[in-house]
Amino acid sequence: MLGPSSRFHATLALVGSLLGLLFASYSTMDYAEHLDRGLHDVHCSFIPGAPPTSEAEACRAAMYSPYSAFFRESMWGGVPISLFALGAFAFFGGFALYLWLSRERAPKLALGFFAGVGITPLLVSLVMLTISITKLGHLCKTCVGIYISSLLLAAGAVAGLFTLKGEARPRLAFFFPLGWLAVLGVTTLVPAVVYASSVPDERPYLGKCGALKQPKMSVGSPLKIHGSRAIQPVMLFEDPLCPTCRAFHERLLDEGVFERLDVDLVMFPLDSECNWMLDSALHPGACIVSKAVLCGADRTRQVLEWAYDEQVYLTRAGKAGKDVLRAAIKQRWGDDLLKCVDDRKTDVLLNQHLHFASDNGIPVSTPQMYLGSKRVCDEDTDMGLRFMLANLAPEVLK
Amino acid sequence: MTAAGAQPTPPGPPGGMSALAGWLGASSVVGLLTLATISVRMWVSSATDRLEHPGDKPKVAIADQAEVAYCTPRFKEVLERVLHSCGLAQDETRRGCKPADVKTFASISDSDFNELFTPLKDRGAVILFDEGMQDLDDGAKKLLEDKWFERKGARYFFVVARASKSGNQAKNNALSHRRANSVMYHLTSIANDPEIDKKVGLLWLGNEFAQLSKDYCSWPTSRPNEKCDEEAINRSAFVSWVDCRL
Repeated sequence: MLGPSSRFHATLALVGSLLGLLFASYSTMDYAEHLDRGLHDVHCSFIPGAPPTSEAEACRAAMYSPYSAFFRESMWGGVPISLFALGAFAFFGGFALYLWLSRERAPKLALGFFAGVGITPLLVSLVMLTISITKLGHLCKTCVGIYISSLLLAAGAVAGLFTLKGEARPRLAFFFPLGWLAVLGVTTLVPAVVYASSVPDERPYLGKCGALKQPKMSVGSPLKIHGSRAIQPVMLFEDPLCPTCRAFHERLLDEGVFERLDVDLVMFPLDSECNWMLDSALHPGACIVSKAVLCGADRTRQVLEWAYDEQVYLTRAGKAGKDVLRAAIKQRWGDDLLKCVDDRKTDVLLNQHLHFASDNGIPVSTPQMYLGSKRVCDEDTDMGLRFMLANLAPEVLK
Repeated sequence: MTAAGAQPTPPGPPGGMSALAGWLGASSVVGLLTLATISVRMWVSSATDRLEHPGDKPKVAIADQAEVAYCTPRFKEVLERVLHSCGLAQDETRRGCKPADVKTFASISDSDFNELFTPLKDRGAVILFDEGMQDLDDGAKKLLEDKWFERKGARYFFVVARASKSGNQAKNNALSHRRANSVMYHLTSIANDPEIDKKVGLLWLGNEFAQLSKDYCSWPTSRPNEKCDEEAINRSAFVSWVDCRL
């Protein structure tokens, strides 16, 4: 049992608040760092103080996801929600310190207020956790750090109520909680307002990443995928075994953008078996899976999305050997599609796609998106996706 | 008297919150918020500075045609002359090069010319013809198709047609020309490529330049089971993609 003068609850809340502040700082720092349009390592660890790492796919996916920020159409990258956490945890940290110092002299109203508002980060965390699991399919460690901090804070805040038995406590006027609530609101907003008022204007940098020299394939043709409400022609260069392509595809779906696109899809597997531009295979088996997509005919989109959904398995199969991969294709899509994969005409078509890439001198990387002939910069396909579309193809977002 | 069971309300501790705790709590809120806000401002400013004054960006590989080890400067020099002189490089009407042209623009001896193609032994093949004929047999068509569709990253496909020493020079020039055209005709029929003229370089050497020695019988040919000698190997068209950038 917690006695009236116990400091356990306040200590718990204080630790939770400071940890939350730290993890929210990491998350905000990573976000802000990318405003220079470069690619940076990100913090992705449960351990406070762990350095940023390049092995942070889950954290990067969370950062690029549509759920990580507000106002992403009007501001490049939007206003990350971690900024609100930053302000809120600062308030909770200060309030927890006050309760820690006050002990049994802390007014009942203060403990009640803290219990009431102290669970709000946990509620938000539960919402974000649900989104992470159901929409993103993985958990970002820095985010989990914030969830745990919120849990500690909520536990400490609620535990404070158990210290109320016994001695009478000072009374406060009813307007104190209203004042605290107002301060909580202001502190929550201040970092976001400062961020929003100081972010650079990224509009001059949009569409400055090159263009196709010959936008039409002279031999062969790209694959066509018409979104259900297609309005914007785009050309995509993709590798079905490339994790970044999968993440990009998922982002387009999550953002509700893909259905608005009329896609010319060019296969660009980063696999040296068919792609002479590489010394070694970055994604072994990508040539075969690309051929499966080319053979999809009216099921092109389904085959591509199957490849993305099963990417981990197909990547393993690709490393195990061609036959394993071919068996996987046959099992899912049948003998006819596999025959097409083995047909020389498909080799030729894939070669034509690769030559289209080399004729245009595009960067050897995937995914790449072209609006008309203009290349969309990589950073505008992830953090800046919605902002880029709002500026270069606003009808897609309508 | 009080009501039965009712207790008097005990007096509370001195009213209001502890002033010191309150001030310290409020100060720490302000302190933490200030720290967070200044940090946010600094991170954004730093990113803005990097955005406006970018350093050297990491080099990104650019998609291009293949370039392999045999693409020596000398090889590329000859190749370039062939491309320009035989009407392949630009939208010129002239198609192909006859022996006199090759001698002139290549500025190279017969043996050196053949030596240049040695690295293409496995990439290319020798299409063999009957004496005095230019028709492709089934083996020739199949081998030609196999080689054509093994394009990989190459930009140009070369056809170097020859005739053996038997017969007079003029007739052999014409014969090797017909052999080159025969190969080109078949390629056009299978390739379905509107830009094939910009890819295929035709050279016909008759019997007066760069004749092949019997050693070339060991190269992949369209008639692997037939007797091969110096006469037979020159009744031919050597075909190959060339993996060089120009």
